[in-house]
Amino acid sequence: PRSGAPARGGTRGCRGAGAAMAAGGGGSCDPLAPAGVPCAFSPHSQAYFALASTDGHLRVWETANNRLHQEYVPSAHLSGTCTCLAWAPARLQAKESPQRKKRKSEAVGTSDQVDLLALGTAVGSILLYSTVKGELHSKLISGGHDNRVNCLQWHQDSGCLYSCSDDKHIVEWNVQTCKVKCKWKGDNSSVSSLCISPDGKMLLSAGRTIKLWVLETKEVYRHFTGHATPVSSLRFTTIRPPNESQPCDGITGLYFLSGAVHDRLINVWQVRSENKEKNAVMSFTVTDEPVCIDLTLSENKEEPVKLAVVCKDGQVHLFEHILNGYCKKPLTSNCTIQMATPGKGKKSTPKPIPILAAGFCSDKMSLLLVYGSWFQPAIERVALNSKEPHMCLIRDISNCWAPKVETAITKVRTPVMNSEAKVLVPGIPGHHAAVKPASPQTKQVENKRKLEGDEVSIEDRLGAMQIDTKKGKDELLQTNSFPVLLTQGLESNDLEMLNKVLQTRNLNLIKKTVLRMPLHAIIPLLQELTKRLQGHPNSAVVMVQWLKCVLTVHASYLSTLPDLVPQLGTLYQLMESRVKTFQKLSHLHGKLILLITQVTASEKAKGMTSPEQKAKLVYEEESSEEESDDEIADKDSDDNWDEDEEEKESEKDEEVDEENEEEDDDAEKDEENGEDRDVASEKELNGDSDLDPENESEEE
Amino acid sequence: MVEEESLRVVRCGGSELNFRRPVFSADSKYVFCVSGDFVKVYSTATEECVHILHGHRNLVTGIQLNPNNHLQLYSCSFDGTIKLWDYVDGILIKTFTVGCQLHALFTLTQTEDSVFVIINKEKPDVFQLVSVKLPKSSGQEIEAKELSIVLDYINQSPKCIAFGNEGEYVAAVRDFYLSVYFFKKKTTSRFTLSSSRNKKRSKNNFTCVACHPKEDCIASGHKDGKIRLWRNFNDDKKYTYTCLHWHHDLVMDLAFSVTGGHKGTSLLSGGRESVLVEWRDTVEKNKEFLPRLGATIEHIAVSPAGDLFCTSHSDNKIVVIHRNLEASAVIQGLVKDRSIFTGLMIDPRTKALVLNGKPGHLQFYSLQSDKQLYNLDIIQQEFINDYGLIQIELTKAAFGYFGNWLATVEQRQEKETELELQMKLWLFNKKTQGFVLNTKINMPHEDHITALCFCNAEKSEQPTLVTASKDGHFKVWILTDDSDIYKKAVGWTCDFVGSYHKYQATNCCFSEDGSLLAVSFEEIVTIWDSGTWELKCTFCQRAGKIRHLCFGRLTCSKYLVGATENGILCCWNLLSCALEWSAKLNIRVMEPDPDSENIAAVSQSSGGSDLFVFKPSEPRPLYIQKNISREEVQWGVFVPRDVPESFTSEAYQWLNRSQFYFLTKSQSLLTFSTESPEEKLTPTSKQLLAEESLPTTPFYFILGKHRQQQDETLNEALDNELVQLPLTENIPAVNELLHTPAHVLPSASFLCTMFVNSLLLSKETKSAEEMPDDIDMKEEKESDDSDEENDFTEKVQDTNDTDLGEDVVRQLSKAEEKELRKFRKVDYSWIAAL
Repeated sequence: PRSGAPARGGTRGCRGAGAAMAAGGGGSCDPLAPAGVPCAFSPHSQAYFALASTDGHLRVWETANNRLHQEYVPSAHLSGTCTCLAWAPARLQAKESPQRKKRKSEAVGTSDQVDLLALGTAVGSILLYSTVKGELHSKLISGGHDNRVNCLQWHQDSGCLYSCSDDKHIVEWNVQTCKVKCKWKGDNSSVSSLCISPDGKMLLSAGRTIKLWVLETKEVYRHFTGHATPVSSLRFTTIRPPNESQPCDGITGLYFLSGAVHDRLINVWQVRSENKEKNAVMSFTVTDEPVCIDLTLSENKEEPVKLAVVCKDGQVHLFEHILNGYCKKPLTSNCTIQMATPGKGKKSTPKPIPILAAGFCSDKMSLLLVYGSWFQPAIERVALNSKEPHMCLIRDISNCWAPKVETAITKVRTPVMNSEAKVLVPGIPGHHAAVKPASPQTKQVENKRKLEGDEVSIEDRLGAMQIDTKKGKDELLQTNSFPVLLTQGLESNDLEMLNKVLQTRNLNLIKKTVLRMPLHAIIPLLQELTKRLQGHPNSAVVMVQWLKCVLTVHASYLSTLPDLVPQLGTLYQLMESRVKTFQKLSHLHGKLILLITQVTASEKAKGMTSPEQKAKLVYEEESSEEESDDEIADKDSDDNWDEDEEEKESEKDEEVDEENEEEDDDAEKDEENGEDRDVASEKELNGDSDLDPENESEEE
Repeated sequence: MVEEESLRVVRCGGSELNFRRPVFSADSKYVFCVSGDFVKVYSTATEECVHILHGHRNLVTGIQLNPNNHLQLYSCSFDGTIKLWDYVDGILIKTFTVGCQLHALFTLTQTEDSVFVIINKEKPDVFQLVSVKLPKSSGQEIEAKELSIVLDYINQSPKCIAFGNEGEYVAAVRDFYLSVYFFKKKTTSRFTLSSSRNKKRSKNNFTCVACHPKEDCIASGHKDGKIRLWRNFNDDKKYTYTCLHWHHDLVMDLAFSVTGGHKGTSLLSGGRESVLVEWRDTVEKNKEFLPRLGATIEHIAVSPAGDLFCTSHSDNKIVVIHRNLEASAVIQGLVKDRSIFTGLMIDPRTKALVLNGKPGHLQFYSLQSDKQLYNLDIIQQEFINDYGLIQIELTKAAFGYFGNWLATVEQRQEKETELELQMKLWLFNKKTQGFVLNTKINMPHEDHITALCFCNAEKSEQPTLVTASKDGHFKVWILTDDSDIYKKAVGWTCDFVGSYHKYQATNCCFSEDGSLLAVSFEEIVTIWDSGTWELKCTFCQRAGKIRHLCFGRLTCSKYLVGATENGILCCWNLLSCALEWSAKLNIRVMEPDPDSENIAAVSQSSGGSDLFVFKPSEPRPLYIQKNISREEVQWGVFVPRDVPESFTSEAYQWLNRSQFYFLTKSQSLLTFSTESPEEKLTPTSKQLLAEESLPTTPFYFILGKHRQQQDETLNEALDNELVQLPLTENIPAVNELLHTPAHVLPSASFLCTMFVNSLLLSKETKSAEEMPDDIDMKEEKESDDSDEENDFTEKVQDTNDTDLGEDVVRQLSKAEEKELRKFRKVDYSWIAAL
């Protein structure tokens, strides 16, 4: 029997599928050649990923930024394609205790710069390529192989290179002199894979069977049954024997694994002291032929071995297992990683993206994945979450094909700035915190105000309002207005209707329409206006006229609303932020308008002789008093601006420039009640006039 | 356990590359540049650092190839020594001690035994060019005291000195005059620009000078952007000059390209425009440009063979440029052109160091490989490099949520009242593996943003960002569902605006679990509940404005640590709402370790910067390192280690899980290492040690052998079985064939054998050249053309072989050679049969 029980079962199971795959793929002419192309991560920090693609080019990619580091075409790349490659251990190796060595390699980033890359070719030659200088160093030919080189392994300490070939031989090279040190027949058939033991004294080779050689004497130490098909990978998985009491001779008790062509089982073998045991101790089952295997070495008994197997079908299987003795059943993976395109909308269904290679990062917690095409692979570091049994990563690799010559030189990456991004400018909701009605401070103030100003009841105000409207109707009996149309438009949210009304520039028309608006439509109108103000500046010019009008005419109604603050908070923020641009100028403008309107009002008052007006004489006195107050208020308001924010919001429709002293509040309310609309409206004009200069600037 | 050495401060990369003009090796394979106390050897093909020449004890100020041996390099330094290196192996050959500070170095082929250096002996501002005789002695340490002054009162910069026309004269410029010293006549001529006297504000100042390699022509660059070409300067009266004017700002450097065949010599110039200008034949109308080099060109160098140029730039990079003005490689150090506003951050995704890079960019720098990964273009506006232009600056950046979010703040302030501010929030798109703009906020605050922080607690439901500003507010931004009927989207909106008595908000930070937010308002620290945004409590120590603020972590999460401008470090207990302890330390940098309770603080005193590592729970520091740097430390960051260290000694345990990096005012990136200086040596010097005491690495042996073979004679190479690649461009016959116009060539069939023969080695070498396959085939085809040609070609071959014997330095294995010969034999016999 050539194969262990689990291995045999597995081989049988998948043989049909494997053959079908090979026939369908048609990539390699040799059905028993391993799938995938030779590739390897550089040792230690995995800074580079070397890949010898089928077109004969050797490409070295930087894993950190997914950039092509260099490309090299061997002179005989067509006749002797690269069949295997191996990074030399880091340049600096000093014979020291293992801990010390480790420390050195990690503490100083630059010192463990890897350089040399060994390439085995199909014609039997071995090339040594320097990635630092970007040129070939030497060629190992003489006395070497005369057939395809299957596997290369660097000795971690001595700087020797081991190669095995289809010519059944294993060669030990002295790289320093570029000469063959030793060459011996490794098997009766081609030798397909090699691995050096952690202590550097033994060598595993896989041909027809797996053999363990003593490197010093080149004698076979152990035999293992192996696989039915050529072994594509051999790896030691532990560096210490599981049993502490056992005398550590460097090799006994260690586990290693082997993966083979067309075999869905990865077998684990143990080197035992007794010679009899030749079968696998356990096996891992995967979905397809393994292409690339990486693992983290377990350094002690408790630490599980983490194994990442990239299969031919483009999936990665992760195993985490503490190796201890036999296990009859093949173990299934703890986690499977797959990758697919997003497959958005029209672009049909998501397509799987093959994962080409995987390597554990030095922290053992994340995995470097190479995926996409062999010619332009994408390299990504993925953090491992051991809990999930299945990970499907969605990646859009369509833009990986874009030419990258420019970025390769300048190293500039441009993040995407598309129109879908949200833009927040001052005044737009979301730029500032939303005004919340439940602010306790505002409530207190409101309560206070209510207590002190309770002589003016809402009923009174409403009464006054009704008189107002009546009066307005009496005075203005022109039919040229659209209150009904506007109301209907607001209710039905009909854009056409609204546009028809709101886009008018006729000031008189606006005034009349606003005057005759039903009260319940005021808030929706204001909200509609706010929405339009946030839009194009040109439309805002007209909207400001509307807004001004609404605020002057319906200020008293608005002031009665209890939930005014949340309802018009956005509008307030918008106004505030826009006014900010020319704050001082608009203050001046407001004051001047106040003066002018007062003058005209007083002139008007002289001309009028209605009894009502006479009854208001008291207020005229107060208003003149207030005028002086206003000036003070203007000064104050600059300082109080932030503090009184909340209060102002509630009052802002009445007066922006007013201070918040209670007495004044009372006075104002009196005014409002007193139906002195002219004065009141002038004041509102004053408040709103802040908007005007800003409009001008926008128009410009 | 391994015995631990004392902790040392080490430079960990990002060293300056643009201090002096780079120098090419003779074969253009390497480019050398000075970098602090080292000389770095870079490969022009792969941008990799091949060697670091390590040995000077102070700033290296000049490097030149040894004119007598192209595999050797001279370097001079402020430590008063000139060192001679074998740059191929990175070995120090000789040290010449001169004694005084050396500012620049020049060599000449004609003066074999002496070099020229710039020194200043008496006054601090007066520099002399002196020639130093280098005694021939076998020792390694040699005194070189034989100095003779060539020129006095010169400019300090080596750009203002140039040796011309095979060492006949030396030109030096300073202020408004050009002086030329003729070595043969031993006279000095001085030419002053006349206009400089008349107009005081004219910018005629000389900035740099270069000499034509063959002709008597000196080019000088000026502050106003003009280039003057001086001729006939042998005569004090008849001298002439012509003007070339393209640069609008000062000319930073000039270089003549080496004459290459029929092409005329061209002049290269560069300046602040970051455009390399090539003046073909040094004529105004024949200009070629290589624009958009990214930053001010500081130096221009030309390789001895003339095939490569390189420019070094103010943003710490060297661009290798082909003769046809195509950039082929960029050697980029840590960008350090501008001041660092963003501080040091670690990208949680790539573990790269992130800080300000090119203008408007964030640079991602790999600490492990000491290389820049890429620049992320945040501002996305064309950068106009002009003096006095106020640019948009990237002032703040922060990563949040495992690198999924990046917040950046950019500002531009032309006048005090005109502040333009923009905050951008970028989402990392996993599908495309890149950042995508999610929300752009114009004027997030009315004044400068002073701090920016994400709530990075793992359990938080909603991504939260806090910005603190000088306008007295801090704003809380949250990610909200922004979808409408057209798309599903998320966007950031402002959730809360907080303030405290109109004080400026200076710092903000979240506690580890995200439940508390601390915002400092000048002298007062306020604690807010992040659930309801209620003010929980305030701390006020009245000890100056808060400069740094951070919560304790893990077991110390009940503490809040703040450092004030008046030099007080305070630690408050959040449970008792009382001051736990305080210490008098003028803290410049305070950084919490994300993986432990430790907090590192760097304090500034008159003597230098000191490092304190402490836990908030106890006022006694864990570790103190005095005088980590002479300069002010500006930023620091803890970088988590991939693999934890295992220091046993208590003092170093804080370094087990992360490493502390800090950036000084002069923008050198430093860190701590416990390794002895010997271990810390750079790769090349390590190899040196290895040769003496330890088993050598394969790389060294291969490299050494390979190089030796190129120099040594053929006989020695014969024994060696190392096979080199065919270097066809070195074979004269091939050159001839390729460079002769096609219409004057005889027919291909006639040439073919000759061509193939020329590729073969002479009989003496007993080895043959590896033949490309296609040529073999040609030969086959050709040989059946006619019999007569065979005789002829064989003759030709003979002559050719003797000609080539000396030129061709290559060998093949005997087996291959035999094979080739066999092949030819077979070929001919087949023809005979015809």
